Amino acid sequence: MTPLDALALVWDWSFFTENADELLAGMRRTIEASAIGIAGAFVIGLVLGAARAHRVPVVSPVAAIYVEAIRNTPILVQIFMLYFALPQVGIRLDAFTVAWLAVMIWGGAFNTENFRAGFEAVPVRYREAGLALGFGRLSTFVNVTLPIGGRIALPSSINTYISVLKNTSLMYVIAYPEFTTTALQINALTLQTTETFAALAVGYLVIVWTMSAAIRFAESRLALPEEAR
Amino acid sequence: MSIPDWVGPVAEYIFEVGLVNTLKISAMALVGSAVIGIVLGTLLTIRFLPSRALIRLYIEVWRGLPILVTIFMIFFLLPALSQQLRIDDPLIAAALGLTLWGSAQVAEATRGAVQSIPREQHEASAALGFGWLGRHAFVILPQALRRLLPPMVGLLVNIIQNTTIAQVIGAPELLEASERQVERLTFEGQEHAIQIYGAVMVIFFVISFPLTRLAAYLEKRLI
Repeated sequence: MTPLDALALVWDWSFFTENADELLAGMRRTIEASAIGIAGAFVIGLVLGAARAHRVPVVSPVAAIYVEAIRNTPILVQIFMLYFALPQVGIRLDAFTVAWLAVMIWGGAFNTENFRAGFEAVPVRYREAGLALGFGRLSTFVNVTLPIGGRIALPSSINTYISVLKNTSLMYVIAYPEFTTTALQINALTLQTTETFAALAVGYLVIVWTMSAAIRFAESRLALPEEAR
Repeated sequence: MSIPDWVGPVAEYIFEVGLVNTLKISAMALVGSAVIGIVLGTLLTIRFLPSRALIRLYIEVWRGLPILVTIFMIFFLLPALSQQLRIDDPLIAAALGLTLWGSAQVAEATRGAVQSIPREQHEASAALGFGWLGRHAFVILPQALRRLLPPMVGLLVNIIQNTTIAQVIGAPELLEASERQVERLTFEGQEHAIQIYGAVMVIFFVISFPLTRLAAYLEKRLI
């Protein structure tokens, strides 16, 4: 008997129907935590990225320290810090809060770099043209730098959002019942390991591949006019 | 101010067990990712559809799955499929999981690097009588590897940080080692989680920061 025959014998389709509700609930929590994290990472990246690109006093160096501190330490240790260490000083965050907060802090740091690079890629002459037309510094940013630099930053920032979503799987260590944790809990009860991991793989790949397709779509739709072919 | 008594044994364990295992996993994953990734990435540039589709699938699957899921797959799914596939050492299982992910990253970067070498280089070496293998081994890859260096340093940083995910299967790397120490101290009625996890963050920062600087420097120098 080959391993494939053995697999066919133990493969049980009813696993998916019987556990569908729980798996979908886990998936919903993954998407919830990711959505909050992504929204926050977008705002953090936009504001701090703009501050970095325009070298805003005080904000820019503080943002630089934040970015380097987060990017050069593992997110899993950051999660441990938030959930297992902060109670030592009386700060108790529940698992859901840590789930979205950790990925938001992490994604915000990476997104700051994405947006900084995007804004810095906007040719200086565009900004000068905006200023020469009588726009103020803020309206030059909103009307010139943001639409152009934002487009340049879009693909890399969606990549960061994909990582944010994948990183919610790390909430397994704090037992937040997102998709991975839920699936592994079901596995502990049913011992249907093959089906469990098939569900996990398909679930994640569907979301991640959809988001990657969104990058390609955004790249083609939002390409700057001079680059569009 | 003197150093408290609890620090000594904790630091000793974290460095002698945790850091050593973190470096072991990182080294295995880096070598595995580089070898598999460069081979797959080079093959990806050949216009032979079936192999291209398979390598694409490999890249998209292992890049798409969270590393945590991949490591669990190796540790739990492989033995469920066949007892011969059981990997008892969590260090090896973690290194394998990171290699699947890392090799997908390297393959993608290699494809880009190989394709960035001008066509004239292919044509010139073909004119000199090199076959496909010789052309790639002696002309194309040596140039492509140079362009691959900055992303490889970046990958090393990511691998080192992601070794912490091995904690979930009990591999005694830096995070697992420090967690054991936190729990031991808690059991003895002392709370030092912030100090210990803070120290772990500092250790990772001290390793990663120079490497990210190096990657940025190489990117400027080599391109």
